Amino acid sequence: MTGVPLNWTSRRRSALADRFLLILTAAVLALLILAAVVGPLLLPDPLTQELAARMVPPLTPGHPLGTDALGRDVLSRIVSGSRTSLFVALFGVAGSLLVGTVAGLLAGSSTRWVAWLIDRLIDVQMALPYIILAIIIVSATGPSLGVLVLLMVLAGWPSAARIVRSITMAERAKDYARAAEMIGASGTRVLFRYIGPTVRPVVLTIAPLQASAMIVMEATLSFLGLGVQPPTPSWGGILLEGKPYLATAWWLTTFPGIAIALTAAAMLGLGSSLESVLRRRRTRRAQDGAPAAPDRTEVTDAEAITL
Amino acid sequence: MKYLLSRLAQALVIVVSIAVVVFFALRLTAGDPARLRAQIFSDESVLDQYRKDFGTDQPLYVQFFRFFGGLLRGDLGTSFRYETPVTGLLGPALLNTVVLGALALLLTFLLASLLGTLAARKPGGVVSGISSVIAVIGQSAPLFWVSLLLISLFSLNLGWFPPGGFEGPQSLVLPVIALTLGLLPSQMRVLNSSVRQELTEDYVRTARAFGLSETRIGFVYIYRNALLPLLTVIGNDMGVLLGGVIVAEVVFNFPGIGSLALTAMNSRDYPLIQGIVICAAAAFVLINLVVDLLYTVINPRVRLGGTR
Repeated sequence: MTGVPLNWTSRRRSALADRFLLILTAAVLALLILAAVVGPLLLPDPLTQELAARMVPPLTPGHPLGTDALGRDVLSRIVSGSRTSLFVALFGVAGSLLVGTVAGLLAGSSTRWVAWLIDRLIDVQMALPYIILAIIIVSATGPSLGVLVLLMVLAGWPSAARIVRSITMAERAKDYARAAEMIGASGTRVLFRYIGPTVRPVVLTIAPLQASAMIVMEATLSFLGLGVQPPTPSWGGILLEGKPYLATAWWLTTFPGIAIALTAAAMLGLGSSLESVLRRRRTRRAQDGAPAAPDRTEVTDAEAITL
Repeated sequence: MKYLLSRLAQALVIVVSIAVVVFFALRLTAGDPARLRAQIFSDESVLDQYRKDFGTDQPLYVQFFRFFGGLLRGDLGTSFRYETPVTGLLGPALLNTVVLGALALLLTFLLASLLGTLAARKPGGVVSGISSVIAVIGQSAPLFWVSLLLISLFSLNLGWFPPGGFEGPQSLVLPVIALTLGLLPSQMRVLNSSVRQELTEDYVRTARAFGLSETRIGFVYIYRNALLPLLTVIGNDMGVLLGGVIVAEVVFNFPGIGSLALTAMNSRDYPLIQGIVICAAAAFVLINLVVDLLYTVINPRVRLGGTR
């Protein structure tokens, strides 16, 4: 793989700007999570239909973002939709990184056929875009939250695995790994006990980037009717329901979209600033004494984000 | 030649294994296509007739060999819903989808080349700023939402383009723009960083010393070398493009593979779903193969099949 920095603007950003972006995006995300946790307790019920107040425009008292065709409060629906999105993204990322890390370590293993098998699995998975995958799985099992999380894991693991594999390959050639092998440590022990911890920082920086992509994917699937089903509010679902009123009720299609874009952008910013902060720390440490370690984040290439 | 053959075999293995997985995933799980095809409250005998027609009354291994035998003869079976051969349904839809996808890819490629090169030459400049903004928007705003906004602005309010359907070339404009925005970020980013890498090379200094213009150096000498990583990304992004095309087709009501796929899914039309998935996987694998072959054309120093 060609080494391509995750975010090319980060090369030019100053340390201060990175720190600022990190704090800003972390704050935005913290607010979003807070809203998702306590919001539904304070806001009107997102499922209550108020037929006298249907299609009320934004900034009406009691309905700051208006209501939908059934008279349900849009702000409440967006806030409780964020629970769905964050839930799916959280479990999706956890699963995808877990599977991806294990698969990546195994793909870098010295047992020929294991590495071959994992490589082929990655190929097969990459050839199936997540929407096609969703069509297959949902037509087989029907839509549900569990299926959604499973889809996220399936969509996310190959890119994580490829990155972990390339680090594993590089680490395996190093002295400590060879020394461990030489004193008789088993292949799995070398992979999981000694090489495993070295991939952790990179895996952590991919996490927010994958989460960002998963927020967008979940919304897309729910919009296509393959994800969260009505009446449970989800960002994609609100947009789907608002689509017929595109010409008359702009707020139904505008606000949920902003929520998705804002969340995804914040996660993206968090990932890229985290990456440069960590890279800086590593270079500093390298200057302090030990011979400069190769820039490991170089392997996190663009595919981390394009699932 | 040997390399090409082994790659083709590998591609075949991928497509066949996907076909097998899809076949079993669909058959082994819930849902009776006959029940969905027949009218509600139909008599059991009507359902049985449908099952017989569909072949879903046969044991699984019989169905499997029938499906596989058909596949070898290039026959993807008969659609449950439309009751016509799947290949006949896929043809026109595939053509529309390919036109849409190819136009979007072409526009993305041109824009990425232009913006990526210009931004790399002047980091912190105006172009660089614009392209980072485009990159962030393209990555965080979902394609379907961008499409809705485009429809709302350009067809409902301004009336410039039709909001959906397929009425001629003007129907392609909005979907292509939406798709391009989604594809642009990764291509732009990769080209940008590879151009930056190339800028530090000796041949650039030599070209400058010879007094060649910056435009010529940038778009002729550097571009050719910076193209390789971009090609890799285009290959990897085929999945994104394919997924994006499906979404755009649904939002814009465009008669292609994506719209067909959703209808097929809702009616449990096994043969049609299988056909679409096989087509999609084959397209992905073949394009990636072409990308790898293009390497040698663009940069003859790359030797395929050697040390890998």
